[in-house]
Amino acid sequence: MSGANNGTPVRIVMIEDDEGHATLIERNIRRAGVSNEIIPFTDGTTALDFLLGADRSGSVNAGQSILVLLDLNLPDMSGIDILTQIKSNAHLKRSPVVVLTTTDDEREIQRCYDLGANVYVTKPVNYENFANAIRQLGLFLSVIQVPATE
Amino acid sequence: MKWISALRTASPATRRTALLLGPAIFALIAVVATSLWLVGETARQTRTIEETSALRGAARNILITLLDAETGQRGYLLTRNEAYLGPYNSALSDVAAQRQQLFVLRDDADVAGDVDRLLVLIDQKKAELTGTVKLAQTGRRAEALAVVETGRGKAVMDEIRIVAGKLSDMADARLKTGLITLKQNADGLALTTQIGAVLILAFAGAAMWIMMRQIRALGIARRQVEILNTGLEQRVSDRTAALTQANDEIQRFAYIVSHDLRAPLVNVMGFTTELTTGLEAVKAHMNKPDDPQLAGQAHTAIETELPEALRFIRSATDRMDRLINAILRLSRNGRRELTPEPINLKQALESAAMAVQHQLGQVSAETNVSAPVITIVSDKLALDQVFGNLVDNAVKYLDPKRPGRIDISARRVGDRVVVSITDNGRGIAPQDHERIFELFRRSGVQDRPGDGIGLAHTRTLIRRLGGQITLSSRLGEGTTFNIELPLELEGAGIG
Repeated sequence: MSGANNGTPVRIVMIEDDEGHATLIERNIRRAGVSNEIIPFTDGTTALDFLLGADRSGSVNAGQSILVLLDLNLPDMSGIDILTQIKSNAHLKRSPVVVLTTTDDEREIQRCYDLGANVYVTKPVNYENFANAIRQLGLFLSVIQVPATE
Repeated sequence: MKWISALRTASPATRRTALLLGPAIFALIAVVATSLWLVGETARQTRTIEETSALRGAARNILITLLDAETGQRGYLLTRNEAYLGPYNSALSDVAAQRQQLFVLRDDADVAGDVDRLLVLIDQKKAELTGTVKLAQTGRRAEALAVVETGRGKAVMDEIRIVAGKLSDMADARLKTGLITLKQNADGLALTTQIGAVLILAFAGAAMWIMMRQIRALGIARRQVEILNTGLEQRVSDRTAALTQANDEIQRFAYIVSHDLRAPLVNVMGFTTELTTGLEAVKAHMNKPDDPQLAGQAHTAIETELPEALRFIRSATDRMDRLINAILRLSRNGRRELTPEPINLKQALESAAMAVQHQLGQVSAETNVSAPVITIVSDKLALDQVFGNLVDNAVKYLDPKRPGRIDISARRVGDRVVVSITDNGRGIAPQDHERIFELFRRSGVQDRPGDGIGLAHTRTLIRRLGGQITLSSRLGEGTTFNIELPLELEGAGIG
């Protein structure tokens, strides 16, 4: 996986409050052969600080290639809020967002796509399926093009 | 006596009206009766006066007429001139008519004796007059003069004068008293009419006043019914809204619980598999102890992967345990028997403020409780938990950039009481105003310890107490929690 201008490597921002999940996700993505840098966050506030900067303008990441892995159930804010802020930000709106969560509620899935989510993956409880899903997601990540932010 | 029992069951206003109008009607009847009686009296008096006046006239007239007749008789007897007989004859025919009038007046018992006497005297005089004139006409004038000379005619005439005078005087006296009585009657009638007029005005005024009052009372009653009606509709829609909200929350609660329990489960299963993978590496190394690559993998597995997997499994099971305990606690709170008792609200708020004093010293903050004396009947333990939790939160999320201030106030609104807990802390973002009441959810920077259980628990308790909690907050400025509770806990609230 590389950025569109090939100069900047794609960084994966993983927003996941459960450290166990974060470890399992990272491990299975690596097993799929994806070696891009993964930056983990366990709550929404610090993740937004990184993505949009303290002023929430998003200019701190101008010209970067970023892909976001997002859990919807965070302790301090809803993943939906983070998704909304990313997709309404002038710099980050084209960055792919993969929603990765335990929820399989039909309305929630629709809402995420309406808000501009690029992929929605439900975490299966069965670990075989979970590992499989993440590995396939890793394979998917290894082939997609990620545009640089403006 | 139907109307008496009707009066007894009537409203106080109707009873008052009847009690006032009853005497009014009686008084008016009395006035009318007095008037009628006075009118009758006046008519009777007038008739008496007419009769008396007729008596007086008749007494005087008969005297004059008899004198006329006597003058004619004397003139004829002296001159034998027939011309004197003209007035004499007309006077005599008048006497007959006047005698008839007097005869009628004999009905009056007071004067009957005198009138009878007068009639006798008239007849005697008439006989003397006609006797002498007849003698003179038949040429026996000397005999006629002899009759006159006896003086009997004069004696009769003198007595007639006396009796007629007596009747006339008596009539005068009677007329005088009669007129006085008539005047008294007239005065009485005027007075009665005036009293009647005043009474009619007074009662009309009173009746109007009572009517106005009743109309006003009816208006007030109608307005009250309208207010009650709209109040009832409002309460029904409030209750419906509260039930709908509670139902939504139960669904949301089930969703959160299933999600939050599923997350650690994924960890347990995932790291169990990782554990197996690590053990495979160790097993491979045991089978081929000389392979350096396998040895390296086994080493990594034993040194890092296996402990890490165990750590995650343990923390996941710990988390599941915490979640299940929290859910149990909420469920137990929902089932705990509430024991309503009178509580001094001000005291309860003050003790909640006192409980955080030791923490306040460290963060330079003050609390202020301002509440009137309000006694509410509610569950003491639940209320203490609610206030304690909210004041605790207010202290916990104060903004370190400025001196903290927590204002606690209470006020009565109808049959409910509203407690406000206001802080100047960090505030809550608008999108989190509902979310913070959900189980395991927290707002803002996660730099304070907590499980996201307190407010969910608080709201459950307040619902059970028949109240509700709302908040208004501005990020970076502060938060106000408003707790609305019934003054008296009725039965069991919505669990």
